[in-house]
Amino acid sequence: MTEENKPFDGPPLSLEEELAAARAEPEAGPDIKTVNEDLADGVNRCPKCGSTDVRLRGSTGMLVCLFCRNEWQESRVEEEFGLGEGIDDLQGTVIAGGAEEIDDDANAVVTLKCGGCGAEVVVDTAHAMNARCHWCRHTLNIQQQMPNGAVPDAVLPFRLTHDEAVTRIREFASKRQLFAHPRFKKEFVPENVLGVYLPYLVIDARAEATYAGTGEVQTRRWTEKHGDNSTTYYAADVFKVDRTVQFTVDDLTIEGAADRASKDESKTNNIVNTVLPFDTKNAVKWNSSYLVGFTSEKRDLDVDDLQPVLQDQLLSIGRSQVEGSIAEFDRGVRWEQEGLDVGGSRWVSMYLPVWVYSYFQEDTKMLHYIAVNARTGETMGSVPVSQWRLVLAALTVGTFLEGIAGVLLVALS
Amino acid sequence: MTALVSGVVLDVVVMASDGPPVWLLAAGPAGAVATYWALFRYYRNTDKSHSYERDTIIEAKPVQGGREKIDHISKTRRSGIDGDNSSRHRQRVNRLR
Repeated sequence: MTEENKPFDGPPLSLEEELAAARAEPEAGPDIKTVNEDLADGVNRCPKCGSTDVRLRGSTGMLVCLFCRNEWQESRVEEEFGLGEGIDDLQGTVIAGGAEEIDDDANAVVTLKCGGCGAEVVVDTAHAMNARCHWCRHTLNIQQQMPNGAVPDAVLPFRLTHDEAVTRIREFASKRQLFAHPRFKKEFVPENVLGVYLPYLVIDARAEATYAGTGEVQTRRWTEKHGDNSTTYYAADVFKVDRTVQFTVDDLTIEGAADRASKDESKTNNIVNTVLPFDTKNAVKWNSSYLVGFTSEKRDLDVDDLQPVLQDQLLSIGRSQVEGSIAEFDRGVRWEQEGLDVGGSRWVSMYLPVWVYSYFQEDTKMLHYIAVNARTGETMGSVPVSQWRLVLAALTVGTFLEGIAGVLLVALS
Repeated sequence: MTALVSGVVLDVVVMASDGPPVWLLAAGPAGAVATYWALFRYYRNTDKSHSYERDTIIEAKPVQGGREKIDHISKTRRSGIDGDNSSRHRQRVNRLR
């Protein structure tokens, strides 16, 4: 295109404006590209010796080459993709590459061509993110973000070792022995605990929440005598109350697998939820070598599926934020209406590490978990109870109290 | 039957006004239920969940809002407002559109 043919795009800029425009950072796009380009060929080589025999060293949280013992780690996504910044300026829904929509047609089973010998190796991404070539022993990794939702943007490596997890689970269960189901006690083998990377969506958001309701302030309190009895009465002013709060949340963490997010009563998923939060600021760029030796679950919930969950949690957070401002209503506040405006949200998909001991209770068909946060060590669990022992204990206490009440009644009559 | 029930009620009322407090007899059943409930919770932890309202990094601007007097209650036996949900953050109410 010649100079004469160029369309007119406004008056020429001053030199300062031209310079400022040249120096300015490009505007942020609607998504964040988090693909780890270094691993594009599916083979994660030790940067020192080139071996692919790489796994996580739990005690340091770093990758270790089993051939030359070199240790290294991927960069933290917090700095790499600027995830901790600009929450105040978030606009719309910003989705990182690994949190994009899952393609329903995408297959969980992926065939990789081994970079070492050319053999074809099959990886079932629903359960594992790497496999060893059966010919040359190269470890092949699923590195690229595929439309089947298997590859997250980041991974938070395990820190607690298997032995530490066993100790914590044993401690937890040993405090709950007396009323535990006898079969559970007999079959309890904490050594069977499994290290699992569970998929989560980690969200930064900016929101404004509005609440409206009724509050009461006590103006008088008095007691009236009716024969031997007395009754306390109250007088109060009634107010219409409204509150608005603007806030940002950093790294709100929501389950990305429907199986784990479901809080139906046949599973004790609330246990796995309780071991949150994780130190997600330390999550590193995706590299499936961190997963060697652990199992993993695939994400199957999209950002759209989780919008209601996010809104629900933001409304709860807003309610907790305004609680301090309603202290003057000493008789309480009844919120009747609430509204939420999510100005912007940023979604990143992460694998977070949990040690899970699961136990299926045959008679009630219930799946119990004892879960350990593999970063903070927080432990929570559900232990099957022996109903008849619980009832017996309750009846014993009840009878004892009733006896004391009977004695008091006789003494007072 | 009605006469029997009336008689029992009368007895209770008479005991309540003249004798020792009959409500003490509720201590047994109440204690049994409380023991069962407390032990069950300790073992099963069905009430536990992640406290995202507290354990997430939240930065809030000052809360805005106001109040407007709409009524006065001159005499009530209730010590608090009916349906107080100010500390039940997860109990959803009508959504403003």
